[in-house]
Amino acid sequence: MKKRLGVLMLALILVVVSVAGCSSGSTSKKDEVTKVGFIYVGPADDGGWSQAHDNGRAKMVENMGGKVETIVKENVPEEKSAVVSTIRDMVDQGCTIIYGTSYGFMDGMVEAAEEFPDVKFEHCSGYMTSDNMGTYFGKIEEPRYLSGIVAGLTTKTNKIAYVAAMPIPEVIRGINAFALGVKSVNPAATVNVSWTNTWYDPTVEKAAAEALIQQGCDVTAQHQDSTATMEAAKEAGKLSIGYDLSAATTMPEVYMTAPLWDFGGYYTDSVQSVIDGTWKSQQYWGGMNDGIVLLDDLTALAPGSAQAQVDTAEAAIKSGQLNIFSGELKDQTGAVIVSAGTKMTDEALLSMDWFVDNVVGSLK
Amino acid sequence: MNNDYVVKMENITKVFGKVKALDHVEFSLKKGEVHAILGENGAGKSSLMNVLNGIYMPDEGQIEVKGQLVNISSPKIALDLGIGMLPQHYKLVDVFSAMENVAAGSRKTTPFLNKKKILDEMGKLIAQLGMDINPNKKVYEMSVAEKQSLEIFKVLYRGADILILDEPTAVLTPQEIKNLFEIVKKMVATGCSVIIITHKLEEVMEISDRITIMRKGTTIQTVNKAETTPQELAGMMVGDMMELNVPYVPVERGGKCLEVKDITAIDRNKVHILDHVSFDLYAGEILGVAGIAGSGQKELCEGIAGLYHLKSGEIIFEGENIVGKNPEKISQMGISLSFVPEDRLGMGLVSSMDIIDNVLLKDYRNKKGMGISREVSRDKAEALVERLNVSTPAIENHAVSLLSGGNIQKVLLGREIELEPKLLVTAYATRGLDVGSSQIIYELLNEQKVKMKPIMYVGEDLDVLMSLCDRIMVLCEGRVTGIVDPRKTTKEAIGLMMSGVMNEGEAGCSIS
Amino acid sequence: MLHIVKKDVPKTREKIVVRLSAVLAALAVASIIVLVAGANPIELYIGIVQGCFGSLYRFAATIEKMVPLLVLSLGVMVAFKMRFWNIGAEGQFLMGAVGTTLVVRLLPDLPLPLMLLLMIVVSFAFGAVWLMIPAFFKARFGTNETLFTLMLNYIALTLVTALQYDFWKDPAANGMPKIANLPENALLPSAGGFNLSILMAVIIVLAMYYFMNRSKIGFEIAVLGESENTARYIGINVTKTIIIAALVSGGLCGIVGMMQTTGVSGALSTEITGGLGFTAIIVAWLSGLKVPFVVVNSFAFAVLLQGASYIQTAFQIPGSVAEMIQAIILFFILGSEFVLQYRFVSDKTKSEVA
Repeated sequence: MKKRLGVLMLALILVVVSVAGCSSGSTSKKDEVTKVGFIYVGPADDGGWSQAHDNGRAKMVENMGGKVETIVKENVPEEKSAVVSTIRDMVDQGCTIIYGTSYGFMDGMVEAAEEFPDVKFEHCSGYMTSDNMGTYFGKIEEPRYLSGIVAGLTTKTNKIAYVAAMPIPEVIRGINAFALGVKSVNPAATVNVSWTNTWYDPTVEKAAAEALIQQGCDVTAQHQDSTATMEAAKEAGKLSIGYDLSAATTMPEVYMTAPLWDFGGYYTDSVQSVIDGTWKSQQYWGGMNDGIVLLDDLTALAPGSAQAQVDTAEAAIKSGQLNIFSGELKDQTGAVIVSAGTKMTDEALLSMDWFVDNVVGSLK
Repeated sequence: MNNDYVVKMENITKVFGKVKALDHVEFSLKKGEVHAILGENGAGKSSLMNVLNGIYMPDEGQIEVKGQLVNISSPKIALDLGIGMLPQHYKLVDVFSAMENVAAGSRKTTPFLNKKKILDEMGKLIAQLGMDINPNKKVYEMSVAEKQSLEIFKVLYRGADILILDEPTAVLTPQEIKNLFEIVKKMVATGCSVIIITHKLEEVMEISDRITIMRKGTTIQTVNKAETTPQELAGMMVGDMMELNVPYVPVERGGKCLEVKDITAIDRNKVHILDHVSFDLYAGEILGVAGIAGSGQKELCEGIAGLYHLKSGEIIFEGENIVGKNPEKISQMGISLSFVPEDRLGMGLVSSMDIIDNVLLKDYRNKKGMGISREVSRDKAEALVERLNVSTPAIENHAVSLLSGGNIQKVLLGREIELEPKLLVTAYATRGLDVGSSQIIYELLNEQKVKMKPIMYVGEDLDVLMSLCDRIMVLCEGRVTGIVDPRKTTKEAIGLMMSGVMNEGEAGCSIS
Repeated sequence: MLHIVKKDVPKTREKIVVRLSAVLAALAVASIIVLVAGANPIELYIGIVQGCFGSLYRFAATIEKMVPLLVLSLGVMVAFKMRFWNIGAEGQFLMGAVGTTLVVRLLPDLPLPLMLLLMIVVSFAFGAVWLMIPAFFKARFGTNETLFTLMLNYIALTLVTALQYDFWKDPAANGMPKIANLPENALLPSAGGFNLSILMAVIIVLAMYYFMNRSKIGFEIAVLGESENTARYIGINVTKTIIIAALVSGGLCGIVGMMQTTGVSGALSTEITGGLGFTAIIVAWLSGLKVPFVVVNSFAFAVLLQGASYIQTAFQIPGSVAEMIQAIILFFILGSEFVLQYRFVSDKTKSEVA
């Protein structure tokens, strides 16, 4: 019955191929332009993580003034073959440096870096490096600690909701920093964690937030890329700490502040170094001092006393006076993990797999 | 009873394709009467009632209901006029109670169920009719008779006062039939008029006031019950003996080939569809099987072919009992049995496949190994097409469903005969075929008979059966009511046996 | 009121005209969306073709997308031929991948050829069992296989999620929920972007062509699919045939799990199927359940998939627009099948048709 369809499609393809063959001369490249690839795990306008990167990309493009062209691929799954084929497409298009912005892109990027030794790769939040692949990340735990102060001062039920993506060190570190910030101003409050196992899925995120609010939480925080958690808080009449991007205008009913990313400066420097030929594989891990992470301005919804306490803590962190993860730190069982007077090493921070004692929730 | 006509149908004609299902039919129904429509299968009874119920639009003719000329274009309009038809297949929701089934779809029902109101109304009607309906009983707990009562009740509840019952007794036990007739009588007493379609003479004699006999799409006559006899009715139903060009070939019959002993089968409604059927079949004879449709013919054929489960009894073929064996086993036993089923495209052939593949159906197992070869089948298909003069553009890549009915049957019968079977069973071999095609089929069967093959021929046209067959076995409700020599019996006698009024050997039956 | 009525078998010329206009209409409608997205439709369509055939690498990428789709479609086709609506190719795919990973976990040190062979067998068995469950229930209790196979997809997905997030979680991945990559001795050999699964697919296509058209069991499956009564009438063992068809159908989908895990993804994950198990249903159906057309149509779909992926990076149109173009083309093609098989009649002519 459908006999002809196949033949037809093939015929159509052949026709278009011949047309394409005639016009293939038009794809000549301008040599002076550097092509930069960006791989996002969600849509570029997700209102969170991917958008933070895309804002950084846009800032970089503006700073470089016509010297670069960027190629973006959205919604790439965290699966090796998908990442590799995306990178192949980008290299095919002439990209000489590619930024992968999700932790789960690591395997694919490592493999692609081997396949294309002449292309530079930068992987955000990962730990694998090679000659042509570096990593970059920011100490988001610093503004997270500050946002914990705001949350700790806000809560009346002493229960704070924290909707989190996956139990990997990056997220756990953020939760612990937040919890320590809470503890610094409100030792009685707990941080209640719910895992969604996804970076971006508004439905799942919202459901998780609603469940936590029902358990009595009156402030929400999140390590998710959408605004669904704040949406849930809005419906329940609670207050929220955001993430990634300022929601002061989009969620004015609930938004107090958020730990923010600002990748513009980093991307500008990094791309410039590629153009200059000075790029080197490195593990970049900037803090609030470098401007890659920051706490958003507090809105009027934040408690009055918060601004002063946040300012004090921020100054202390920036000056090195305050180290968030210095002892004494106990885990959920009460065992001392970091003894008084010692600091955690970078290595220990990068593989953190335990919760501090005012976090409620499992690590799975 | 008065003489007000509630329904008058005049000159009703309905054509399906080339077939005239109804040919200028006249029918009338008086207020408060029970009117039976009597006729063989295909006589047009159901078509006529479907016209009255708005399922078919007549091509010609006019209908008057309660003195008004009407145009009944849907069952909904029919119901507005007070005409309700009891469906042959019940349309009840199993998990609903009787009351819920009545309420569902009733236009009296408001969006929110007022259960009390409905129960009150139901109670009144039930008491009036003396029906045995428990409004709270779920349909899945009901017997067939209860479901039927519920269907009748549903139609009445929706305001019908002209009720059409299409073969209502087919699925009922004698006691249940009695109850049904009680209800019918009470309905009539309350002013309803009832049309009952049936082919059971004794029921007609018991319940009806007037009887309309139909045959081959026309009305033969309408008679008052008081002025007729079952014999007269049977005669009108089957018609006069017609001279047909169906040749009878006398052959000295050979030995016994098939011995059927006491086979019994039960259908889905737990009715005995075959009830202790016994007969023998001899080499070189055509045994006709006559009966009203649904008397167990299909089950008998399929039972012999191993396709229908038989509860008890024996079928001895070449010294082996084949009851309980499926077709695969039967053929593995080396018994070559050819069955030409009633459902040609649904069972005998694969409608979407070409002639070669349909020949291959019975051939492919003969080749050794995993593969199939179409070469042998192609040769056979070519030979078949040529010998039987099958009209087809191609034997390959041309689905058999695109052929005409006669050619489809030629392919099927030809294939089966080609297998040189030791037993040939055919069901309605000429149904839907034109005269010429039928003639070829009869010749093919006679040819096989001359070759001393035993043949069972299930048919519906008594004239054909009587001239083609050596003996005729008559089935009625799964029982054998007679095995007769058609050359020593009247058509009327066979008609009575088919209606179960008389058994073989009873008075007036074996007169030639 | 309009009624929908089945048409007579359309003529070849009508088919060509309708389908060609469907594709052209699809491209025309899609052009509007492309224009809104700020690209030139003509350039974009040429881009799709360039993205599939423009270089050896791009062609390899197209073939890489075609191979799993092709084998899945063949698997689905076998079941569909029997009117057994296997909507569970996705689940059988996943289970095949689970079986593959299990082999590596249990016998990590096997030499490559033995490893691959064992993985083929096990993935086939896993996929087959996943379809035999509903097949058994259908043959035995008459359950509805459409729902049953569909639900088994989610069970398989949940199983893989559990494996990925818990039981088989790679301890070396720093908490990232992923299953460890397969070792070197468990990866399909490849050269220049083409891996060994292409050869496997070729063998499978030839075998399936024989199976469907030249084997007894294939013939029995076709007969059973057309009419169970006929099958019983000619003495086919219905249960046995259903089970065999399910075995082949599920097994083929299972093997795709092996090909993707060892040839492309390198590790089992919940994302491994990419929804191909569902696309395969459309491919099998559009191909009229015939092997040669399954090959052609899988290729056509791979072109659509690869083309859509390519134009996102090459033309910087959003992923959603690329997906919309795909969807529009598919919609029009499916719609043309409807137009070919049915027609509308108004109430007035109803009695003629009835």
